[in-house]
Amino acid sequence: MEKLVEAEELRTNFYTFEGVVKALNGVSLVVNNGETYGLVGESGCGKSVSVRSMMRIVQAPGKIEEGKVVLFFNEKDRNKGIDILKRSEAYMQSIRGNDISMIFQEAGTALNPVLSIGFQVGESFLLHRRGEMIKLAVKTLDKKIDENSNSLFRMWRKFHKRLLQNETDDLERYKTEIVKIDSDLYRTEGKTDSKSLEKHKRLLVNRERLNKQGLKVRLQLKTPIIRRYVRRINAAVREKVIELLTDLGVPNPGNIVDRYPHELSGGMQQRIVISIALACNPTLLIADEPTSNLDVTIQAQILDLIRQLKKTQISSVLFITHDLGVVAEICDRVTVMYAGDTCETASVKDLFKEPMHPYTKGLLKSVPKGEIGEKLQTIPGTVPNLITPPSGCRFHPRCPDVMEICKSQKPEMLMMKDGHSVACHLYRKK
Amino acid sequence: MILVLVGVSLIVFAIMMLIPEGQRVAIYVTGEKIRNEQIDSLIVKYGLRDPAPVQYFRWIKNIFKGDFGHSITASAPVIEGFKMYFPVTLELVLYSTPLIILVGIWLGTIGAVHKDKPIDHFTRIFAIVGYSLPTFWLGLMLMMFFYGLLGIFPPGTISIVGKDILYNPEYHQYTRILTIDAILNGNWRMFWDAIYHLTLPTINLVLLSSALIMRLMRSSMIDALGQDYIRTAMAKGADKKTIYNTHARRNALIPVITISGLMFAGLMGGMVITETIFARKGIGLWMARAATQLDVAAIMFNVLFLGVVFVVINLIVDLIYAWVDPRIRLT
Repeated sequence: MEKLVEAEELRTNFYTFEGVVKALNGVSLVVNNGETYGLVGESGCGKSVSVRSMMRIVQAPGKIEEGKVVLFFNEKDRNKGIDILKRSEAYMQSIRGNDISMIFQEAGTALNPVLSIGFQVGESFLLHRRGEMIKLAVKTLDKKIDENSNSLFRMWRKFHKRLLQNETDDLERYKTEIVKIDSDLYRTEGKTDSKSLEKHKRLLVNRERLNKQGLKVRLQLKTPIIRRYVRRINAAVREKVIELLTDLGVPNPGNIVDRYPHELSGGMQQRIVISIALACNPTLLIADEPTSNLDVTIQAQILDLIRQLKKTQISSVLFITHDLGVVAEICDRVTVMYAGDTCETASVKDLFKEPMHPYTKGLLKSVPKGEIGEKLQTIPGTVPNLITPPSGCRFHPRCPDVMEICKSQKPEMLMMKDGHSVACHLYRKK
Repeated sequence: MILVLVGVSLIVFAIMMLIPEGQRVAIYVTGEKIRNEQIDSLIVKYGLRDPAPVQYFRWIKNIFKGDFGHSITASAPVIEGFKMYFPVTLELVLYSTPLIILVGIWLGTIGAVHKDKPIDHFTRIFAIVGYSLPTFWLGLMLMMFFYGLLGIFPPGTISIVGKDILYNPEYHQYTRILTIDAILNGNWRMFWDAIYHLTLPTINLVLLSSALIMRLMRSSMIDALGQDYIRTAMAKGADKKTIYNTHARRNALIPVITISGLMFAGLMGGMVITETIFARKGIGLWMARAATQLDVAAIMFNVLFLGVVFVVINLIVDLIYAWVDPRIRLT
């Protein structure tokens, strides 16, 4: 299996008024190309924070302290990978929504209440596929130029075509510059001599500064009346959005694009959130509890949709959930998290058949089996406060098999057999 | 809305009824001196001893005819006084409100975006100082400093040279708003003179009122930036500028609009102090004088007028609301 994304020893803290919340305590996970990877744990265990750290969208007061997130997307960096935590913010912006995108829980709050659906979905196209959109706009414009014989209209449209052409030229220039800087960055990355480090730093600054548009384009975008040509691009985007929504099985997409989030049902909102994430055909889709707060039937529909998309469009899915049933249904491999630690990673079959970590065992025992009068087992104790987390293994105060060493030493990830690893002192070779 | 106006008129009328008839006669009598023995016959003539409802409806009828009575302080009919004083106030409000709102929103956004950085502390200090200074104190200080000490900016509405131009028969007063008239006449000298006289009171109002808008904008922008949809926008790959300007600001503006509307209306009423200090002959000054000289007609008219202003502003605020927030739209 080829790796697609690897997170190594991620540590993220939240600097709150009460103290420093150590949300991630060295989380490592690997998503392979072509698999559906599950991340399971109770609420507040750091699932969402770890994927947000992987996308570098941790909001204040959170801060990624250390670790690595390595992407193996292009052929070129198959061997080495790109550590995105070291890259510039501008580079991240070009990756987010384009190569990695994310579906959020609670679609109702994840959509902006004052912007129309068409705008919110179309924004992804405008951010990452502006060139294509301009091409589409030019195509429809060409048709109109041929049709209409009125010379005044003709002139107006030809003028617009010229403006659109300006933008295309500008985008080309920008693209070549970006590619150059990125390849330079790739070359200087990881080198430790002072000259390379300095160059790397300078390149990062340049990447950040690189203006997306040249002066000419900025002027034509800002000047009133002249900037009306942008409507042609927007019309092209609208067509694309309607196409995308039709593909995702949204009924009556032509009507939906002009609606606002509050006018839609929960399931429909979730579909819109998915369509935003899928707009640019990402390589990795991160689904952050996409089915919580939805009815069971809608849940099944959304899961079906994701499974289908996995077959047709996206290569890998990183699926976060607290629902073990969903994991069994959709995932290939699973990592169990507890209080900012990864406990166990295994294929779904192995995890359900022979769980190794005491926490995983407890978790599996507490799943209702659907028998009448059944008494649910629970894990005694509560989730620890992450401002003052327990020493050593963070699970030790609740662990049934606790040993002396657990209280002082953090267990390392032990490879038990192919593809099944566990972080527990129980399995340490004596 | 109309109910609100009826309520305002009732209250105004009730206040008027508290005043003895002898004084109320002044509303109807124009100019000439009245001897004491005439008063009684005048009271009877204008029906000031009729039952209250009858008087109320007569008063309302007169209002619809455009007859608000005679103002002593303006020594003219109230409506004439209004035409004379109102443009001066309107000019100041028209110049300062956009500035207040723009400065407030701009500083508030900066503060929220650079939260807890030095520039944020600076804007917060600005807000606290601006909000806690009394209007009259700051007004007097500005006057003392810029007029008394440095002699840069003058008080008043217009200079002597300006007055000469103003009363020149060739100079037409279209709107009576000095700057607009000056532009319409193409008289730049007059225009600069008016702007020159507007500067200090505008600074005074902007310093004091934008602090409130700024505080509100800052907190609602910080709130908006912490919302989930900002994360969605970040995950889309939007840059900071787009996130601030498109995704956060529109949501943050919603509470600011309410306060801006109230503030605009409040400015009209709060002009009393500013105009008195800077000796601008506007509504505020007129009201202050009318109150001290018991100019019943002028007071009544102005209270009624402010009521109308509040109602209209609220209507406009509601319209802007619906434009900004689709959740409020009726369709």
